[in-house]
Amino acid sequence: MTGRRVGGVARTVAIVVMVGLTIFPIYWMLVTATTDTSRLFLDAPDLLPNFGHLAAFAAALDDTALLLWLLNSAIIAVGTTVLTIATAWFAAYALSRYRFRGRGAFGLALFATQFLPEVFLLVPIYGLFLTFGLLNRLEGLMIVNAAFVVPVATWLLKTAIDAVPREIEEAARVDGAPRLAIQISIVAPLVLPSLAAVSVIAFFHAWDEFVFALTFISKADLRPASVGIASFVGELTTPLDVIMAASLIYVLPTLIFAVFAQRYVIGGLVAGSVKG
Amino acid sequence: MQSNERAINREAWFGIAPAVLLLAAVQGYPILRGIYLSFTNTSLLSPNRSTFVGLRNFTALFNLDSFQITMVKTLVYATGSVIGAVVLGLAAALVMNGAFPGRRLVRAMILVPWATPQVAVALVFVWIFNADYGVLNYALSSIGLIDGGVLWLNDPDLAMGSVLLVTIWKIFPFSALVLLAALQSVPASLEEAARIDGARGFAVLTEITLPGIRRTILVLVLFLSIWSLRRFELIWLLTQGGPVRATNTLVVDLYRQGFVNAHLGRAAAIGVVGFLASILITIVYYYVEQRSARRAGEA
Repeated sequence: MTGRRVGGVARTVAIVVMVGLTIFPIYWMLVTATTDTSRLFLDAPDLLPNFGHLAAFAAALDDTALLLWLLNSAIIAVGTTVLTIATAWFAAYALSRYRFRGRGAFGLALFATQFLPEVFLLVPIYGLFLTFGLLNRLEGLMIVNAAFVVPVATWLLKTAIDAVPREIEEAARVDGAPRLAIQISIVAPLVLPSLAAVSVIAFFHAWDEFVFALTFISKADLRPASVGIASFVGELTTPLDVIMAASLIYVLPTLIFAVFAQRYVIGGLVAGSVKG
Repeated sequence: MQSNERAINREAWFGIAPAVLLLAAVQGYPILRGIYLSFTNTSLLSPNRSTFVGLRNFTALFNLDSFQITMVKTLVYATGSVIGAVVLGLAAALVMNGAFPGRRLVRAMILVPWATPQVAVALVFVWIFNADYGVLNYALSSIGLIDGGVLWLNDPDLAMGSVLLVTIWKIFPFSALVLLAALQSVPASLEEAARIDGARGFAVLTEITLPGIRRTILVLVLFLSIWSLRRFELIWLLTQGGPVRATNTLVVDLYRQGFVNAHLGRAAAIGVVGFLASILITIVYYYVEQRSARRAGEA
């Protein structure tokens, strides 16, 4: 098979190089964060992390609003995830199980959202949120983020529900269980991996999101971590090792999550595109 | 029968109602409003006062030399990031296909770029690319490839390449994992049979493996292209479209026109151009997909 074609040694070298390049930027964040500022601007940089020097992490937590920003990010991300699942689940079930009028148009609309650049919609959504009092509200960002994830989430969940045999539901319906209860108590547990994948995608999207938060949040204490950390760049008062320490703390939750939940993450990423 | 159909429609519409409502409010209305704005001279300073100006924003755009540069930059960025992500993704998928020790660990590591938020990506790469103290220049000069500080992000000739490098680093895991899943659905027996018939490695790849994942590659190219036209944050955080427009793609130009120059009407016109470009890509995709499906059917 392919394993035999790409010979053993060449393949191992290729994999090591690939993984090395893949994780190098994160490694470099760690090296920079653990290097004393006085040693950062040398002709020959230190190439290894110095775990004896963790002052930058303490400074990132004590001297900046990082913890508050992370809390805001977490609230936004959890809210986005809940809103996404609550919205996408029922739409996905309907798409999978009913042949209803408007089904094709709805499917097309989901696909069409992939064309819309966030930046293009920024001003109209800003106007809308101004009218409804959603600026400077974490709820506003949850709504925007969910709107960008729901199409993908719906599609992933629909593909998963398609694979659940209808007979399982019909047996429960004969027993008189209402359709809503069947959806939640019988179908949902069977597509748990896809629900996990959708949750990861929604959470990551919100954790990563920058431009809506930058534009819609003007109160400093409501900033999420993406905007807060980016703000270090302009102000020039935060030392580089502290910036990198803060970035690393910000990156860590998603990295740990991705590594430990890799089965669900990969399953979710791949499902839609290969089968769809 | 009739009432049954109506009941089905009603149940289904209850199911999709929340999604329809959310998408209509946060995607549907804004896009219509955006298209309307592109025919007005609305300013960021008074976004609710606008005068209809017909096609003036569009004619103004196409008469600007700078907008032609923007179009070229967008094309280069889209083509470069799609080709880079697909080629690198395919190479990664080929080496990861099949069993090897540490497979789970490698698949987890490959997720790292995908899982790293864009703000953090931009910050660390700006530092890696730093002309005087960046580790990239240090590494390249210590092996003698360069001599002196290369301005990766501040040299107009290099900035696009550097931004592409970061972009491909960030997005290739997605294509690698999608292609890996597709590769695993190509029956190994087909490749085996071809090899018994005397086909060598490269021929097996181009004659059996690649045709087997043709549809996945096409879908991947479609989505990567559309997403490359949308990608804003990474480029903005790395270069803000500079130096001298070297990385000024459509969405970056849109943001600059709208939020720096306060000209919402012209910004919206740029958005409409990008939207039309995405639709054009999709039409081309369907044409290619149909043709290659027909060819595959004949073979």
